[in-house]
Amino acid sequence: MAFNIFVQLLVNSLIAGSIYALVASGFSLIYSTSRFMHFAHGVSVVIGAYMLFQMYSLLHIPFLISCILVLIITGLFGYLMYKGIYSPLMKRKSSSIVLLIASVGLLILFENLILMAYGADVKTIGYIKGVHVIKFLGAVITPLQLVIIIASVLLLVLLWLFMHKIRIGRDMRAVADNPELSEIMGLNSKKIMALAFILGTVMAGFAGILIGMEQNLEPTMGMGLMIKGFTGAVIGGITSVPAAVLGSYIIGGAENFGVWFLPSGYKNAITFLLLFLFLLFKPTGLFGLNKGVKK
Amino acid sequence: MIESYLLHIGILIAIYIILGVSLNLALGFTGLLNLGHVAFFGIGAYTSALLLKAGVSFIMAFFISGLIAAIFGFLLVLATRKLKGDYLALATLGFSFVIYSLMLNLTELTRGPLGIPGIPKPVIFGFKISGLLPYFIFVTILAVITVFLIYKIVKSPFGRLLQGVRDDEIGLKVLGKDTFKLKAKSMMLSAFFAGIAGSLFASYITYIDPSSFSLAEIILIFTIVIVGGIASIKGTIVATFIIILIPEALRFLYLPSTVLGPLRQIFYALILLGILLYRPKGLFGRIDLE
Repeated sequence: MAFNIFVQLLVNSLIAGSIYALVASGFSLIYSTSRFMHFAHGVSVVIGAYMLFQMYSLLHIPFLISCILVLIITGLFGYLMYKGIYSPLMKRKSSSIVLLIASVGLLILFENLILMAYGADVKTIGYIKGVHVIKFLGAVITPLQLVIIIASVLLLVLLWLFMHKIRIGRDMRAVADNPELSEIMGLNSKKIMALAFILGTVMAGFAGILIGMEQNLEPTMGMGLMIKGFTGAVIGGITSVPAAVLGSYIIGGAENFGVWFLPSGYKNAITFLLLFLFLLFKPTGLFGLNKGVKK
Repeated sequence: MIESYLLHIGILIAIYIILGVSLNLALGFTGLLNLGHVAFFGIGAYTSALLLKAGVSFIMAFFISGLIAAIFGFLLVLATRKLKGDYLALATLGFSFVIYSLMLNLTELTRGPLGIPGIPKPVIFGFKISGLLPYFIFVTILAVITVFLIYKIVKSPFGRLLQGVRDDEIGLKVLGKDTFKLKAKSMMLSAFFAGIAGSLFASYITYIDPSSFSLAEIILIFTIVIVGGIASIKGTIVATFIIILIPEALRFLYLPSTVLGPLRQIFYALILLGILLYRPKGLFGRIDLE
């Protein structure tokens, strides 16, 4: 019996962790190249989910085409945020704090635009219907949840391959590692930053699609997701994408195994507590390097 | 009708002036990037509400709510003493999330999302402040006292030291000053005033729930301070009038409340972004946010 519960909690941890990892990977990609906390990343996920709702549920565009459109829109959204707000601020040599506050402003702005456009009531996309479940070692998992886990892992592997095997991905890591030196070596760090914003926000779009298929949509869910993804990134190590991904699975695990001991209302409190403790005692995270984090 | 509406706005402005000026003491004058100010406001409101419901006199509840907020302010500085820049900002933001989730989850104490209704109006020396006009006069007097005290603090030698912490912490340490103590005092004073603002808010609205102390509220207080200008008390006061009054004009468009709420938030966010982009020192500030 206890073993069943253990397996079920493990499965739940994997599902939650996969979604957080998608959020965290984009966030950490953007952080590592531009060195500021892009909090509006949470609203990118929400925009992804609502665009899927708009395309697929309202306009009845075929699912795969809807998904591709969502990814294009979120990529464009990432580019516009960079070009319209962050790039002018960076040009004026604003501190990372100013950029952080601007990103919270962006988060509030778009969250409320979505709220005005779609209303506060909960939306469902309902792509996969039915309650057919798969049993696995006594644990229950729906096919959709299996798809979420597999798709996230696949995407994260693709992201890793991109950053290590492809020229432009390696340039990105070079800028993350040492911006001045890469600039001297002839890399255009502004272009790389813009690319990181596009790619990171497309990852957020993927997260939005998967969340939209699995959960109900609410305009205000961006902040919660951002906190989870961000905490994952901090626990793993914010300057490294793989570390942020690992941290996200740790968050998924801590939250789900935490309800074994605590009432489920404390699920979010567990995350906040971990975030606070890590910021205080190990701001570089478990696997991150102490590079440019503490000045 | 119009009179009571104006008094209502006046009371809110007085409460937000206390909140804004006290945040500016920590943020502007001492350079402590505190994104958790709303948590002190909430702690004050809940402390005061619970004490008043338990039958404690208003004057006691009022001061205790400030003191409890100040204790939390001390703990926050103590916990975050090694952090700077974004990490300090995020730890303080994390602090306000922790307090928010405690308000939601400590249901035996706070009743969670149901909130605390029926908070009594203040009774001072047997005189009950219940009408709108007496309450307006009451909070205005307290706002004036707060502004006066904070003005005196920042002009005092102690205030100069606080600005020293902001501009050159290492320099102050070389001179043998205990900068941790200075930061702790500044944050505790800032938290104390936020706590009493919470007490005033709770007794005015008579009902509080966690949603009054959420992220949107942080943005509002932060926008007020940034629009007014870092380390400018005059700026914060002028900005409070602008930020609270302008969205009120939207009310006369007779939009449904489901549109009005988000529209107000959009307005705050746009003002914040506009100021950061085009006038980063705010209306009356002389110092850049760093």
